[in-house]
Amino acid sequence: MTVEKKYTPKELAESVVFPVELTDAQKKEAATQLEAVRKRRQHDMSDREKLILQLLQLKFQLEKYLEDGKYDVKKNFGFFLKKYIDILELRHKAFAQAISIDVTLLSQLINKHRDPPEYLFIRLELHSNKKIPAEYWFKLVEKEKVHQIKTDKKLRTREKAFVLSTIANIS
Amino acid sequence: MFIVDVATKNKKKVLIRPVERKDFSILTKKRFLFDWKAIQSETSIYILFDPDDQIILGAMAVLKLDAEERIEIKLLTCSRENIGRGKNYDRIAGCLIAFACQLAVEKFGYHACVSLVPKTELAVHYIEKYGMKNAGWQLYLDGERLGELINEYLL
Repeated sequence: MTVEKKYTPKELAESVVFPVELTDAQKKEAATQLEAVRKRRQHDMSDREKLILQLLQLKFQLEKYLEDGKYDVKKNFGFFLKKYIDILELRHKAFAQAISIDVTLLSQLINKHRDPPEYLFIRLELHSNKKIPAEYWFKLVEKEKVHQIKTDKKLRTREKAFVLSTIANIS
Repeated sequence: MFIVDVATKNKKKVLIRPVERKDFSILTKKRFLFDWKAIQSETSIYILFDPDDQIILGAMAVLKLDAEERIEIKLLTCSRENIGRGKNYDRIAGCLIAFACQLAVEKFGYHACVSLVPKTELAVHYIEKYGMKNAGWQLYLDGERLGELINEYLL
């Protein structure tokens, strides 16, 4: 017995999306219909609705980058912080005030001239109503530090002078 | 992300990942209704699985239409034992549809849209179950509803 005969339409819709082949004319009509309703929906979409989806987008982009093993020099703490502020359409001064930090510090963080203090991760989580957890901001900085420590040749050369023996010398 | 054991009402953690070549020997027509291998070149296929025993419980093929800022669900099914009244687990299809919403929002932000072409007799049930909207030949999800499904099934 085929699944279509075995189950009710309700049961099928809860578990399956079947392939449906449309003719070229039907495909064209389907595309026009969808485009028209989407255009209307985009026009009527509230700012709140847009904000919710943009914050979700930022959250998913952060998750994807943090899960990705590759390090991207552009995607630092300042890059994502600026994206967050841009989504909210806030002036830097107003945002700095909202989380009680100096606007100069905010500028230094965005331009990567300074490492973010730990309290900032928490303040950002609170500011986003927990939409972006503190640990994401922390892990972003951590990912940068891991890359630095793995690739800093100068530091290795400098520190070599202080290591007077290694386990290779233990007989 | 979790599914629910229908008998015990216990939650079970599940994960979704892109299909790998080795999965096609499990994604048989007998258990997963369709010939998944046949559509792998033209779509992106994702599977929902139990991370404890790696058992695949559902599969979904999507088309990523970047120019239209839209993701189209071409095929989706739960494994045969999870369809109908006697199913073992609930929420499998919901998690996969919500995952398509996540892919769309991640790529297209507030312009994101997820759509599917339903079999006529199922359309009303997709609308009821997932809050999809009617656009003639296609059903679609956009705006706040994308966020609601993501919250309901993935977060």
